[in-house]
Amino acid sequence: MKSYPLSNVTEPNLIKEIFPYSLPPFIRFENNIKETIDGIDVEFNPGQVKKRDIHITDTTFRDGQQARPPYTKQQMIKIYEMLSRLGGPNGVIRQTEFFLYTINDRETIEGCRELGLKYPEITGWIRANKGDFRLVKEMGLSETGMLTSSSDYHIFHKQKQTRQEAMDQYIEVVEAALESGIRPRCHLEDVTRADIKGFVLPFVQRLEKLTENEPEHLKVKIRLCDTMGFGIPFPGVGEPRSIPKLIWRMKEECGISEDRLEWHGHNDFHKVNVNGICAWIYGLNAVNTTLFGFGERTGNPPLEGSIIDYISLKQDLMGIDLSVITELTDYFEKEIGAHIPSNYPFVGRNFNTTRAGIHAGGLRRNEEIYNIFDTTKLLNRPPRVAITDKSGTDGVALWVNSFLGLQGDEQLTVMKVAKIQRWVMDQYDKEGRLTAISDDELEEQVKINFPELYRQYKAKN
Amino acid sequence: MEREKIAQSVIAVTARELNKNTDQIKEEHHFAYDLGADSLKSIELVAAFEEEFDLDLDEEQALKVQTVGGAIDFFSKLLPD
Repeated sequence: MKSYPLSNVTEPNLIKEIFPYSLPPFIRFENNIKETIDGIDVEFNPGQVKKRDIHITDTTFRDGQQARPPYTKQQMIKIYEMLSRLGGPNGVIRQTEFFLYTINDRETIEGCRELGLKYPEITGWIRANKGDFRLVKEMGLSETGMLTSSSDYHIFHKQKQTRQEAMDQYIEVVEAALESGIRPRCHLEDVTRADIKGFVLPFVQRLEKLTENEPEHLKVKIRLCDTMGFGIPFPGVGEPRSIPKLIWRMKEECGISEDRLEWHGHNDFHKVNVNGICAWIYGLNAVNTTLFGFGERTGNPPLEGSIIDYISLKQDLMGIDLSVITELTDYFEKEIGAHIPSNYPFVGRNFNTTRAGIHAGGLRRNEEIYNIFDTTKLLNRPPRVAITDKSGTDGVALWVNSFLGLQGDEQLTVMKVAKIQRWVMDQYDKEGRLTAISDDELEEQVKINFPELYRQYKAKN
Repeated sequence: MEREKIAQSVIAVTARELNKNTDQIKEEHHFAYDLGADSLKSIELVAAFEEEFDLDLDEEQALKVQTVGGAIDFFSKLLPD
């Protein structure tokens, strides 16, 4: 066994090359990922993801809207504008797709276009029906997604077709798209539960053949839809659940290039975010997301999670304005009335709120101990503490100093706030309280115990 | 300030804050183990010392003091004759 002697350093090793704090922590790769497909050893070089044009596509208005009451036109235009600012000028949020079936859908697209924004590009979504191309053409869209279900669950049990009938119908619709000068994006619905060699590969090979002589802007795109969240991200897993094998086959056996491949996940098995980032790593460029993961059943990859992963992989903001995530959160909660769980990463009300006294103590001494990155600078969300019987005098000191905006030597010590902490403990020990202390109650305690500091605070705010 | 005077004050404040008689408190007593001060009470005790001696103490240094004698020494250094 190799022996590791203690390295008793005089300065802490904070591993800043991975945890810069000014940005989300970096993901650095040290070796290739090995997989075996049909008995052949293949390798994925995950480090290449840093150089590739990986990006996010959005389906907040399509899949995201299927799981909730419809947004108004004004709401969608406002969200579209915020998505554009969030993704920045490099188009990290590259595309967003809309339904085309109602007047509200079409007027919304017009309203978004009037903003004159480059990104996200607007694409459509239609059922596999030739007649629906009229809608795409009328809206002047250059690309549309279309439903091309790939599992026998859908082909046999839902569509009541044979595989041949399904494939022929899909091909007919793709041909209609090409005739209309519209790029087809085939959504391989339920692909992680499909017969890969018996249907998926023959269908995609035929699609590729169909557009191989078309100009680049008309070549078919493939969206791999993990409709029920069955996809598994790690190597060694059998098909059809294996994500690495599926992506490898699309590229190596069907000739679909990385810029024409997209991953669309669902969260039925809690893997939605990691499956998205793994799809990037295994070699496709687009991960399809929705804001806050809103979507059918358990939802889609949350856009805000994917964008943080994007920064971690690129080790750069790439023009992204993360503070817009907080704007979007406020807008969804206050204007739309959406419920976002308080512990939801990056956006929930308490995502960087500590309740444990020992964590509050750490936060007071050095914010980096218990905050994931500089959430104040990047998300406009300073770390907070919630006061209960478990948060301790450190928690109260942190809350009071944060509330009064006191910095450095101005900050009050635990001795100065001890009277407030005694009041907090009396609430639980003597009054039998079971709920957290509210911000209003704490403000009142600050007013009573620090009247001069409170007066100064009110004068400034 | 003389050490004896500081000792009287430290013992008086400790007795008041921890509900003891002054004659129950010895210099060798540990605030937590011998006199029963929990973590909040220990902080309140230091806050009471701050008021008694009209000082703003460094939190980290002040909370390191564990015994009555340690407190007397601590304030003797801070409040020389």
